[in-house]
Amino acid sequence: MMNSLLRELREKLGEHVAPVATESSAEACFQIAPGDIPSAVEYMRDRYQARVATVFAEDRTPAEGVFYNYYVFEQAGNPGYLILRAAIPAGEPRFPSIAAQLPAVNWQEREIQDWFGLEATGHPNPRRVALHDNWPDVHPLRKEFALDQALAPFAGEQHVYRPTLGEGVFQIPVGPVHAGIIEPGHFNFAVAGEPILYLQLRMFYTHKGTEKLFESLPIPRAVFLAESISGDSAFSHGTAFCQAIERAAHIEPPARAEAMRVVLLELERLYNHIADIGAIANDVGFAIANAHAGRVREMAVGLNEALTGSRLLRGMVCVGGVREDWSGAQLARLGGALDEVEREFGEMVALVKSSDSTRDRLEKTGILRPEKAEALGVVGVGGRASGVDRDVRRDHPYAAYALFPFRVPVYREGDVWHRVQVRIDEAGESFGIVRRAAAGLPGGPHCAPHQPIPADRCALSAVEGWRGEIVHWVRTGRGNRLERCKVKDPSINNWPALVEAVEGNIIADFPVINKSFNLSYSGTDR
Amino acid sequence: MIALLQFVLVLSLAPLVSGLIKTLKARLQTRRGPGILQPYYDLHKLFQKGMVLPDTASWIFTATPYVVFATTALAGLMIPMVSADAPLGLFGGVLAIVYLLGLGRFFLALGGLDTGSSFGGLGSSREMTIAALAEPAMMLAVFTVAIGANSTALSQVARTAIAQNWRFLAPAQILALAALFVVLIAETGRIPVDNPATHLELTMIHEAMVLEYSGPYLALIEWGASIKQLVLMTLLINSFWPFGLQLEWSAAGALVSLGWLLVKLAALAGCIVLVETTNAKMRFFRVPDLLAVAFTLGALALISTFLF
Repeated sequence: MMNSLLRELREKLGEHVAPVATESSAEACFQIAPGDIPSAVEYMRDRYQARVATVFAEDRTPAEGVFYNYYVFEQAGNPGYLILRAAIPAGEPRFPSIAAQLPAVNWQEREIQDWFGLEATGHPNPRRVALHDNWPDVHPLRKEFALDQALAPFAGEQHVYRPTLGEGVFQIPVGPVHAGIIEPGHFNFAVAGEPILYLQLRMFYTHKGTEKLFESLPIPRAVFLAESISGDSAFSHGTAFCQAIERAAHIEPPARAEAMRVVLLELERLYNHIADIGAIANDVGFAIANAHAGRVREMAVGLNEALTGSRLLRGMVCVGGVREDWSGAQLARLGGALDEVEREFGEMVALVKSSDSTRDRLEKTGILRPEKAEALGVVGVGGRASGVDRDVRRDHPYAAYALFPFRVPVYREGDVWHRVQVRIDEAGESFGIVRRAAAGLPGGPHCAPHQPIPADRCALSAVEGWRGEIVHWVRTGRGNRLERCKVKDPSINNWPALVEAVEGNIIADFPVINKSFNLSYSGTDR
Repeated sequence: MIALLQFVLVLSLAPLVSGLIKTLKARLQTRRGPGILQPYYDLHKLFQKGMVLPDTASWIFTATPYVVFATTALAGLMIPMVSADAPLGLFGGVLAIVYLLGLGRFFLALGGLDTGSSFGGLGSSREMTIAALAEPAMMLAVFTVAIGANSTALSQVARTAIAQNWRFLAPAQILALAALFVVLIAETGRIPVDNPATHLELTMIHEAMVLEYSGPYLALIEWGASIKQLVLMTLLINSFWPFGLQLEWSAAGALVSLGWLLVKLAALAGCIVLVETTNAKMRFFRVPDLLAVAFTLGALALISTFLF
């Protein structure tokens, strides 16, 4: 397969296409020239219907004198990932943009511009995205930029939003500081009366330099950093990171650890889906559903605490497996507690479904059409409610997921109600997965012992967090540290979908549409 | 004397009714809730606080809290609460109440627009959309009871209703009551029309208009809003079911009447809470449909006064 692909790419692009050795059989990597990028992406899309999962760069100028751009592809029915790598000479820091053909990479290409100072030539909107407009001309992910480098206080240009003109058309700026306890993001609405004409987003207010920080930490401590990328996805991000390290260093987590990870990943999905269903109902004023959701979520996070000592599942995952084993008594309690959560969850769902006034608000609201969802590369809950039949757990099985087949709910309606419905269905599947995984938990150790991680190994890892596809890519460094860690949170794929979904809706419905995607600002901004 | 007592009663009872509704709502939602006296603490706190005035605010912004408070308090003097005779009967009774409240709302909408903030404008525009539909429905319902009593003076309406014991079961009365209940929900900014508990600026109506107010000004507006709620609730109670109203003044009788008032207010608050808890908020563009229903009910009530 990979040999034939190499042959095809050589035919298409020329003999300079070369294979790059990878640590895992689940990924193949080819090196191409920067000029090949548009035709290679187009070829992969047209010939293999491959989707670009993420685009990122790496500064290798100290070691190899080049920057690398990586394009990660996935394809339906193929558990492997294909990575195309383009070497960009330090003296000529630019690469051809593919955002015009592939809107899904719009922000990610601009991140490369901001972080690495590599110009995406031909980008339809090459303005700053990650570093705000008033930042000086620095590129923090370059190796020459020291972690402790302090910038002089700066003031500069403010961001200019695209003007919207017309009689009776107003711009309503909202945020970045909001009334509720939520994260910061700026929403600039153009409205004609109540209907929304156009929404402009501005993120990265909570940029914390996470990817740069990864390069300074010993790997065991970096696990904690991965857990804090997005607090509600602590275990998913932690697992994605640990898996990447394990693949890079050829560490095989024991079967028991793999099954325990499945249990915990599904428990994370459960408590978030429960809370989301309540929060969506709350945003249309059906507070009683939210009160019940809060109660049921509390039961779920109590179960988390009983299993891991952490309500939000922090500190449990580690390189090689999981940190603590479960006793027989803990497992025995899990079954009963899970039944209770499932029963209460069922009642809460019945309450939401039986409320006509709630369904009236949610159905046909914030429709994301399947064509748009596909074009934008929308992932996770938002994608599956709009006909995007993708789920990393099924398509690229990791941990012990291959042992526990489950149904992936997909709907084509794409409205808020179906994003709720996807959550309801997925939670139902999660109860089953947790039960099966916990019942058949293999014996043996819960963590594989391992040597310090060898240097200069690269690996990719993907996890289906409750929100959608999480991708981590690492290059290890000397001294049990990292050279580079790329983090792709599903939120970065899905913000453009929100822009599409709100168009034509009334502005009073924006909060519930936004909540139905429930994207992570922290995960986006990193 | 009675005027003074009723004035004190209106001002002191209004926050209690708001607190009662909040507490009952919390209980129905399996929450403990803030405690029934919380609105008093909130008002006390707000009066202690400093104020932030927007640079762009004109005299309208500063006048609005006083206008809102004064108009609602004045309206409070014009309804029979304990005694069948309202302390104040000006310019045609119930009509004056409707338009006093209308004046307060007019200033509130101006105050929302005055600062130039986009949320204020959003709230004011929504408020006026709703008011334009709620007001006619309210007028029709009010005319129905006025025709039955041959007077727009609420004291006369109440006396007539007491004299004809079972009058509240007449079809016209029931239709008018239903219309007025919908108007009550809309005018007090409750679910399914508005959500008084939300923090989402983009969905707000009443709260969006007062977002820029703080400190004592906000206290006056909030207090005014709870007085308005009390006035409308009492109007509804004592026009349709004035049982317990005192016809001749006596101190002991006043206490009994006050007890009846509290019981009836609590019952009405319970109905409001039930509606709020079992419904989600309507999509904003569906609200006119609801108010059209209220208008139709009011119109039918008015017509049926001539039929039965």
